Amino acid sequence: MTTQTPQPLMEARSLTKTYEVSKGLFQGKGHVQALRDVSFSLFSGQTLAVVGESGCGKSTLARQVTMIENPTSGSLILDGKDVAGADEDTLKIARRRVQIVFQNPYGSLNPRKRVLDILAEPLVINTDLSKTDRTDKVREMMAKVGLRPEFAERYPHMFSGGQRQRIAIARALMLEPTVIVADEPVSALDVSVQAQVLNLMMDLQEETGVAFLFISHDLSVVEHISNDVMVMYLGRVVEQGPKDKIFASPRHPYTRALLSATPRLSEAERKTKVVLQGELPSPLNPPSGCSFHTRCPFATAACKSEVPALRDFDGRKAACVRLEEISD
Amino acid sequence: MALLEMENLTVEFGSEKNPFRAVDQVSLTIDKGEVVGIVGESGSGKSVSSLALMGLVSYPGRVNASRLNFDGNDLLAMPQSQRRKITGSDIAMIFQEPMTSLNPCFTVGYQISEALKVHVGGSRQERRDRAADLLQQVGIPDPLKRLSAFPHQLSGGMSQRVMIAMAIACNPKLLIADEPTTALDVTIQAQIMDVLLRLQQDRGMALILITHDLAVVSEAAHRVQVMYAGQVVETGKVPDIFTAPRHPYTQALLEALPERSRGKRRLTTIPGVVPGVYDRPKGCLLAPRCRYADATCRTVRPQVSDLAGAKIRCFHPLDDAGRPTP
Amino acid sequence: MTNNNDNTVPSQAAAGPAAQAAASHAAEVAEAREAEQTSGAPPHPLVDFWHYFSENKGAVMGLFAIIVIVLAAVLADVVAPYAPDEQIRTALLVPPFWAGGTGGYIFGTDDVGRDIFSRIVHGARLSLFVGLLVVTISLAAGIFLGLLAGFFRGWVDVAIMRAMDIMLAIPSLLLAIAIVAILGPSLTNAILAIAIVILPHYVRLTRAAVITEAGKDYVMASRVAGASKMRLMFDTILPNCWAPLIVQATLGFSTAILDAAALGFLGLGAQPPTPEWGSMLADALQFVQRAWWVVTFPGLAILVTVLAFNLMGDGLRDALDPKMKR
Repeated sequence: MTTQTPQPLMEARSLTKTYEVSKGLFQGKGHVQALRDVSFSLFSGQTLAVVGESGCGKSTLARQVTMIENPTSGSLILDGKDVAGADEDTLKIARRRVQIVFQNPYGSLNPRKRVLDILAEPLVINTDLSKTDRTDKVREMMAKVGLRPEFAERYPHMFSGGQRQRIAIARALMLEPTVIVADEPVSALDVSVQAQVLNLMMDLQEETGVAFLFISHDLSVVEHISNDVMVMYLGRVVEQGPKDKIFASPRHPYTRALLSATPRLSEAERKTKVVLQGELPSPLNPPSGCSFHTRCPFATAACKSEVPALRDFDGRKAACVRLEEISD
Repeated sequence: MALLEMENLTVEFGSEKNPFRAVDQVSLTIDKGEVVGIVGESGSGKSVSSLALMGLVSYPGRVNASRLNFDGNDLLAMPQSQRRKITGSDIAMIFQEPMTSLNPCFTVGYQISEALKVHVGGSRQERRDRAADLLQQVGIPDPLKRLSAFPHQLSGGMSQRVMIAMAIACNPKLLIADEPTTALDVTIQAQIMDVLLRLQQDRGMALILITHDLAVVSEAAHRVQVMYAGQVVETGKVPDIFTAPRHPYTQALLEALPERSRGKRRLTTIPGVVPGVYDRPKGCLLAPRCRYADATCRTVRPQVSDLAGAKIRCFHPLDDAGRPTP
Repeated sequence: MTNNNDNTVPSQAAAGPAAQAAASHAAEVAEAREAEQTSGAPPHPLVDFWHYFSENKGAVMGLFAIIVIVLAAVLADVVAPYAPDEQIRTALLVPPFWAGGTGGYIFGTDDVGRDIFSRIVHGARLSLFVGLLVVTISLAAGIFLGLLAGFFRGWVDVAIMRAMDIMLAIPSLLLAIAIVAILGPSLTNAILAIAIVILPHYVRLTRAAVITEAGKDYVMASRVAGASKMRLMFDTILPNCWAPLIVQATLGFSTAILDAAALGFLGLGAQPPTPEWGSMLADALQFVQRAWWVVTFPGLAILVTVLAFNLMGDGLRDALDPKMKR
């Protein structure tokens, strides 16, 4: 690895996104804080995993990072420029740098287009390449992701789930992005195919130095592929740090619960199950104070009123007021 | 005596001349109070086999079995109506998508009480009390209030709890759970598994847990059946099957899990995909993907054989060190 | 534990061209095996479509009838023994040949001695032309408005959809009559009126399809790739909305023919002596007691054509709607 401090490819500072929703007829507008104060840095060749359950803001984060939406506040720095709230021209250039791979390989490919057209579309939109050049690039990319270039004329429905996910990855790579947001890229796949796709992603990362923002709920996959982990709950980061630290000694009560709830094959790795009580609160109506206090086994009265700040603790960041007391 | 004895269950789709076997000679024995996991990738026939057991495979599917005994009754010998009565009250089933398994037009209380009316009976008030009691048992807070809730007002986890409540309403002897936690979040999944296993133990109910998640099965089941392309390739006890798998497919499946590849950068993969309708191999169904396959494997279909307490469909079952025997 | 050697790759530290080559090689090996499986891939969409379409016998009959009608319309000058407006003074109200008619008038003649068969064949040309024009106009406008409403939502959606609601609130034939009354009775104006009347159906259908498709991941992927709004609307989303529109267009054909006939019958559509089926009915109404054939055959022509289009539309729906597939 390089000796000098590496420059981050992308840096998010206090990203916040608030949606306006109507609560029903004549009841006025409500606000959902889908994302609150999320900061992270992505480095070349590294993978940052975002972990959390439904409603934690993972997908909102993906939409901000891919610049589909504009964050309500905060900044997103790409190649040294803040693109949050930038004008369309800047965004158009910036968007090429960040691409996305979706969870469902069946919905993410346009069923009416041939693979060739799907893969060439980013080039048609963003480059002046001739048709033959585009075709060459597509074939080259197909070979790279382990698909036979002869299949370029086929339609997506003729491929299996794993092959479709390869196509989706190839599409994301067409513009040679520096960051790929992978939104649960393997959770719709069977175990054996999942391993193939994960291997492919790691190979491509090694080859191109692309950074992954890897969104997943599967902790065993996250543990394998990531360098850093960010655990989110109801739009906030509750724990963030190097993978080894977080998996070896989770500090936030939610991270602990998540890890203990993950089924394990080997008996030695099974932690005493902390079965969390209650449901995930609705993001429309989040609990006061620490949003986890309704389900937290360690919650005190203070947790109901005080929003814990993300602070440095034991080599990572965590947001809990009782970190010292509950760490053994 | 075993609660359920099923031998050579076969489900075929397609034309008579050119049938496609979705389930191929599956045998399963389950004792009272036992938890059996059925594991397989998509298309392995794991769901279809239990639907066939419930008598829920409809035309154009054709179901055959050489033996089907449940709780001392020969299901094959009895008329359809009687069979339906038994499968309806003594065998219950819950599905993967709790949100679509409940009828959105009726309240939770109404749906549970309808289920009770058919199989248990009782007055309206009795059924309502029983419904509230059931909701209590599956860990739904404030059950009386929840009775008048509509399904869309419930979260996924709550809906699955309601489905479980309906399933246990008639005190079934066997509960089949088809991917009960796949659509749920990790912490909710833990809750649901907790409820399922608690109920199973309290009631001495047998449980068939169908899932693609090996880790879930390893934590919950007593015995595991591994299915591949419609066939059972290995049946064995937990934890033996996870520590020393006998079938190459089980071994490969386990090795593909990130948990087993810790410290290594690349994951071990199984090349290729599950054979589809059009491309069933002539010999062992796994042969094109099996790293140990030889000429025999490619030409002859292996039969199920007993091996140290496990049942294996393989010519070269693996030894304790995970190497194939000649 | 055994290692799958061809899938193990040197660690990241040693990542160089060699490692990359090894990696891509491993992927290729996996793919090559995977590719073998795909050779038995599902059939081409058109083949698949015909498979489902041909299962519906009614639809095939409808298609056959339409082909006959289209051929008759195209070859009207060859098929018809007489010109449509040729009056044969010597043969007034001659019955069909099997009812004692003479002179080679297959369906007999009308009150001014015109050959009914010739008029119907030429009328087919007119009816199909009306159908085609109406469907083209309303489909084009409907798709455009529906795309705008479904894609942009917000006030655009509200404005377009409320306008359509107002049009739907007026009985369709009444609205058509009103429009023709304003524009003046002629075939062109009748076509325009009918096109306007059936427009809301296409707008609604397109809008619903667009909203469904716009939420899918592939649209998001195009957006991330930087696709413009025009590209997203017309290139990405629209091709996926065709299935319901094709069905509606086919059914719209029959509505258009029926409405044109109705307007013709009321004297608001095609003007005499144009051989339009509706106006033929109206002209001959006074002879219905004396000469049944003058009204029966134009009526049957309308019936058969409309039925054929409806049958084919149903067949198309079955074949194109993924939910109807087994």
